[in-house]
Amino acid sequence: MFDGESVVLFPERKTIPGGPGRETQKDSPVPKRPETKKTGDRLMDRMKKVDPNQSERYRQRTGE
Amino acid sequence: MTDFSIVMGIETEYGIVRNDLRESDPVIESMELVRSYQSADLTGWLYQGEDPSLDARGFRVDNLAQDEEERAFTRSDYKRFFSFHEMKSDRILSNGGRFYNDHTHPEFSTPESSSIMDLLRYDRAGIDILLLAKKEREQSLGGSGLLSLYRNNTDYHGHSYGCHENYLLPRDIPFDRIVQGCVPFLVARTVLLGAGKYGYESSEKRGSVRYQASQRSDFIETLVSVDTMHCRPLVNSRDEPHADRNHFRRLHLILGDANMSEWQTAMKLGMTKMVLRDLILDGWEPEIALDDPVESIRLVSKGLRDQPLLRLQKGQWTALDILEYYVEALEKRSLDRDSEDRWVLSEWKTAIEQFKSDPSLLSNRVDWIAKEEILSRFREEESLSPDDPWLQSLDLEYHNIDPDQGLFRALEESGDMLRLTGEASVRNAVTQPPGLGRPPVRHAIIRRFPEDVVEAGWEKIRFRSGELVVLPLFQSFREEEISRLIERIGRLSSPREIAEVIRPYTEWTNLQER
Repeated sequence: MFDGESVVLFPERKTIPGGPGRETQKDSPVPKRPETKKTGDRLMDRMKKVDPNQSERYRQRTGE
Repeated sequence: MTDFSIVMGIETEYGIVRNDLRESDPVIESMELVRSYQSADLTGWLYQGEDPSLDARGFRVDNLAQDEEERAFTRSDYKRFFSFHEMKSDRILSNGGRFYNDHTHPEFSTPESSSIMDLLRYDRAGIDILLLAKKEREQSLGGSGLLSLYRNNTDYHGHSYGCHENYLLPRDIPFDRIVQGCVPFLVARTVLLGAGKYGYESSEKRGSVRYQASQRSDFIETLVSVDTMHCRPLVNSRDEPHADRNHFRRLHLILGDANMSEWQTAMKLGMTKMVLRDLILDGWEPEIALDDPVESIRLVSKGLRDQPLLRLQKGQWTALDILEYYVEALEKRSLDRDSEDRWVLSEWKTAIEQFKSDPSLLSNRVDWIAKEEILSRFREEESLSPDDPWLQSLDLEYHNIDPDQGLFRALEESGDMLRLTGEASVRNAVTQPPGLGRPPVRHAIIRRFPEDVVEAGWEKIRFRSGELVVLPLFQSFREEEISRLIERIGRLSSPREIAEVIRPYTEWTNLQER
């Protein structure tokens, strides 16, 4: 599919990892570059709400 | 040999906590969560014939290893007022998957498939199924937000739970050859597939708070073993094919992390499938061997962006050198590959190039890099020390599957993490089985005779009459043929007729496998 074939096996991919010369599907947005510096304030707000001691209290039993 | 189609599956155990209680009973919470999910085909799992103590090296162990703490828990579990089956709370789902309480963790297992994209959709549907169950359970408890579910592999206090991969291989491939061929790759893939963890939990370093690439590598303590809960191996030797054991062996890998990133889940399955099918089943043997694979996987995990040289039996390579060696071996084989395989190869090469150039280029698809970047940014903004416990709590919250709380979910929603699946097809995968292979046939039989089926497993269905139907894999049949079979099953008037309808498919499958 990524070299222009008619068979599309990954039809739902919204973005394709960046890289020179990469093709994208017609309905896909432009490939995104990782830009974590622009990650929204919403994420930081969410992070600030996390209880600093949460992992200390988090206890599970051994699984497989 | 390379036209062999490897049937795969993923099983993921989730962490579960009650937010309104200081301490909660994980057995009860896990059971109640699973039981809250209403849309199941059947509630009885066919355990008969399953034996996790059988070792692929040709023997059976008397006991599976547990640590002292878990042994004590198990002893107290025996005194509970419910049976083994009640505790397991198995749900056989209409999508061909399984949802149950496995060792105090709600676990979703995808239906079997040879398609990476199918498995990715069903794995993602598993998250939605857990969220639906959570909503139901919270309603019965009287309020939202009372439960949290985590798709990770550790509680940071030495307790791990798994995300297992399954690859069905021909029986005639010797187990030792699989181990020898796979191990350098399995160790090296950690650099691209880790979910990231703030903390060290290997017995000698427990308590240190430093970041590493993998959640699971601290818990890998030996090369090969049938055990899964203690002294875990790089390659698990459990011999339970869930298919005709005369023809198949199932490679059950327990070393991988539970990724939030869909790209990593797709690459984990795709890379491993290609190494198994195109190299190992084709008789290829690596010319490299790690001197100490268990030490190496920990070094890869702790190496992060500055990957160390790993001691080989001759020379020293980094994990990236090893991954490059395997991808080059794959490229040298001139095979007619389908588009999924070509995508995996292309992504594999690009990921190595990008990691070598700047690992941050992978921060939109590799959990440990994405997590490291947001934690670093948060640490700077809040002026935290590198060992501040808040960072570990944020690590945990990265794996919270709730779209309104999880940090990964926020990154994905904002487009900072890749998403490969579409919401509509995931919604469909919550209830509908794949179109190919054994799952749609299993589902059709259970649906046709809901009053007659007592228990079912991956391969077998047991009826009230005592009759047992054994399903072949249906791998060589096209979707139209499977649809015709399903229509025929829908017209049957008695479960007794099933064996006759299935028989030609079984005979054809046996003929193909000879």
